[in-house]
Amino acid sequence: MGVKDSLLRVYDVHYKKLMVFSFLLLFACIVSLAIGYARTGEFFEKGVSLKGGITMTIPINYAIDIQAIERSVNTRFPAADIGVREITEGGVATALIIEAADVSAESLEAALPEFGVVLVPGKYSIESMGSSLGQRFFSQTIRALVYAFIFMAIVVFLTFRSVVPSSFVILAAVSDIISTLAVINLIGMKLSTAGFAALLMLIGYSVDTDILLTTKVLRRKTEGGSIFQRTVGALRTGVTMTATALVASVIGLLFTQSDTIKQIMLIITIGMVFDLIYTWFQNAGILRWYLEKKEHGNV
Amino acid sequence: MAMFKRIFTNFRVIILLICLLLGLFAIYPNPWNTGVSIKSIAKNSSAELAGFENPKATIAPMGRERILAINNKPISDMQAYFDFVSKLEPNQTITVKTTKSSYKLVTKPKLRITELNETEIVLVNETVEVNQTVNGTTELVNQTITKQVEQKKTVQEIIGIEPLGFSIDNAPKSNLRQGLDLQGGTRVLLRPAEEVPRETLGLMIDSLKERLNVYGLGDVVVNEVSDRPDFLGGGNRFILVEIAGATEEEVRELLGRQGKFEAKIGSGTVFKGGQDITYVCRTAQCSGIDPNRACGSSPEGWSCGFMFSITLSPEAAQRQSALTKDLDVVEGSLSEQLVLFLDDQEVDRLSIASDLQGRAVTDIAITGGGQGTTEQAAIEDALKNMKRLQTIMITGSLPVKIEIERIDNISPTLGKEFLTNALYVWLLTLLGVAVLLVAVYRKFIIAIPIVFTAISEIFLTLAMAALIGWNIDLAAIAGIILAIGTGVNDQVVITDEALRGQTGVVYNWRERIKRAFFIIFSAYLTIVVAMIPLLFAGAGLLKGFAITTILAVTIGVLITRPAYAAIVGLLLEK
Repeated sequence: MGVKDSLLRVYDVHYKKLMVFSFLLLFACIVSLAIGYARTGEFFEKGVSLKGGITMTIPINYAIDIQAIERSVNTRFPAADIGVREITEGGVATALIIEAADVSAESLEAALPEFGVVLVPGKYSIESMGSSLGQRFFSQTIRALVYAFIFMAIVVFLTFRSVVPSSFVILAAVSDIISTLAVINLIGMKLSTAGFAALLMLIGYSVDTDILLTTKVLRRKTEGGSIFQRTVGALRTGVTMTATALVASVIGLLFTQSDTIKQIMLIITIGMVFDLIYTWFQNAGILRWYLEKKEHGNV
Repeated sequence: MAMFKRIFTNFRVIILLICLLLGLFAIYPNPWNTGVSIKSIAKNSSAELAGFENPKATIAPMGRERILAINNKPISDMQAYFDFVSKLEPNQTITVKTTKSSYKLVTKPKLRITELNETEIVLVNETVEVNQTVNGTTELVNQTITKQVEQKKTVQEIIGIEPLGFSIDNAPKSNLRQGLDLQGGTRVLLRPAEEVPRETLGLMIDSLKERLNVYGLGDVVVNEVSDRPDFLGGGNRFILVEIAGATEEEVRELLGRQGKFEAKIGSGTVFKGGQDITYVCRTAQCSGIDPNRACGSSPEGWSCGFMFSITLSPEAAQRQSALTKDLDVVEGSLSEQLVLFLDDQEVDRLSIASDLQGRAVTDIAITGGGQGTTEQAAIEDALKNMKRLQTIMITGSLPVKIEIERIDNISPTLGKEFLTNALYVWLLTLLGVAVLLVAVYRKFIIAIPIVFTAISEIFLTLAMAALIGWNIDLAAIAGIILAIGTGVNDQVVITDEALRGQTGVVYNWRERIKRAFFIIFSAYLTIVVAMIPLLFAGAGLLKGFAITTILAVTIGVLITRPAYAAIVGLLLEK
């Protein structure tokens, strides 16, 4: 209990520092995205489902050297951009994922057996995406993200009918998405359409704790207690919520065999960790600061 | 006991239980279902002749016709079916008992035609137009003449039976439909090369469906998708085709083509696919491996020729006569050849015998070829090419060119692994969440309604999907996992509000639940509005994710979470 109390004391006394920390983190993430953009011309690396190319999923039940295969296929097809990954299920490799742009499926299929990859007809999958469609998908998913944000903002404004606290909620969601994108970029993950779906889902996941916080702090003044006490009341519930979501997404991440689900779970996991920071340091801090200032003004 | 009674007589819990019961009917699980389910029936096959009909695409899996026994021998699964069929003899009559009725089916012999090094004289009927003087006026009259033709002697031998024409699957165990990435198959996203009105797109979809049907692929879903809602103008329109059990090459050749078939002499068009062709022969008598051109081998492999006869409309025959009238004769053939084009690409050239000059012949033979590494492979390739060309000639050309934007070929074994893996991930996730919540609340009794609610949500979402005929694919599985996550989040909000009551706060239970539901509803609305744009992005390929998520959270908010609130309230109220 002692640790918990002293942590809560730090949270109470130093809430402004924690708030500043969250803004610095956001700033760092924006800078990291900007550097990435300056270097490559893209905010993040697009997977083949967003730029066109082929994805092969090959089940394996033998040890295989991923790096060696990647090197060999890239030497064989110098004009192409080929990435090789493996899917693990509880630590055991079960499938090989090859993502390739600017090379035909036929030539890859012909070359792979030379590098020790066994291709049994009918046992592996090939998905190929036309590049014009990939481009179109990309602009559409970006647009979907923007629309989703606008719709979410409208719902939040209608819920609280108060501009400033609503903007804090939206700011927290924006910060969450930006930081998640920055981490995706840093770890070199290539974003697929499924990843975009996960980002949209993240909006919902990150906003619910912010709504919880704002409701408890703003609309339950009648229940008594200071702003901080009400924040702590929300904190207990909110952290439990995020923790359950994290347990679910980490289990999904570790045990799924599907590349699609894996990417979705990874994005949700990263986003949930940021959600803790942006809800309880940024949103709670800025809301408390705003309300205390307002109360002082009124007195 | 009294508490149980109060829980099960609670209005909200009763609603949940009724929904679960209805869900059970919608899914209709039966793990002991036997037989093989009929996915489709091939045209002109023994099965179609026996009276079998193609099942409608909308029919629920458990409602499909199933083969239960053949010749009174029970057929329990696909293995049993194939074992039985492999022992059948040509021209044998068998009795097929299904869930609907009993059919008499006659097996067709499969023939191999080999040509001998001898020739024979055969009589061939040919329709020609002749000038005839009737009552003083001269007019063109169709006349059938019998001609003697010298050709190589052939022998026919029976090498087995033709496929019965059933495309089958193991008996379904429930009404849940698995999406393509779980059951395997080919998915193609097609786009008209130029903008077409909606009606034209509908016509194109009909033609493509017919092509697949004529080709013999029955288990097909063809849909129109667009990347913007209709009330915003519709955006780009695509055709999404999903086929279980076809190779990528077949699909590419069959669907990626406009199918504009044209035969020209010089620069004049003699006939086009579709309207100018009245009949395309597909029986063994007048189609198959060309007996006049033997299969040959070269260093690159084997090549074989095919031929089939077609009947032209009188107008097309007339054009042929006009175009050949003034040609010169060179070594027994005319100076110009009949050149066949498919989508403006030359596919074959045929020499025209000099005796056909200026005659309006309606029966012509179309030829082509195929390659392979062995003779058998070359024969198969040639026959496959022939089948495609026949299909395109019968169904005619699409109004505009078509482009393949995306083609996915998914292995059925990989899909099956994904499914078992997904179930296992669901279970582990539930277990993990339950353990965490018991640790947080230190009340074991809380875990029971939480796990029960989460399972009910998964079950009801699946039931809803079965009811509306929605496919469960990977995206849907991910959507369900995430929606269950928000469900558990909401349960945490409810539980915390309920537990606060125990520490003695001013508000009554009803008021606290109302407050919890305020948060739940706002969070619900944000998720739904965030998913709506996804219904249209990516030409509908993300629709599965969006729909399942919206479905699952809606079921949660309306049915399971109110029931959970009631259960928790009663459990903690002591």
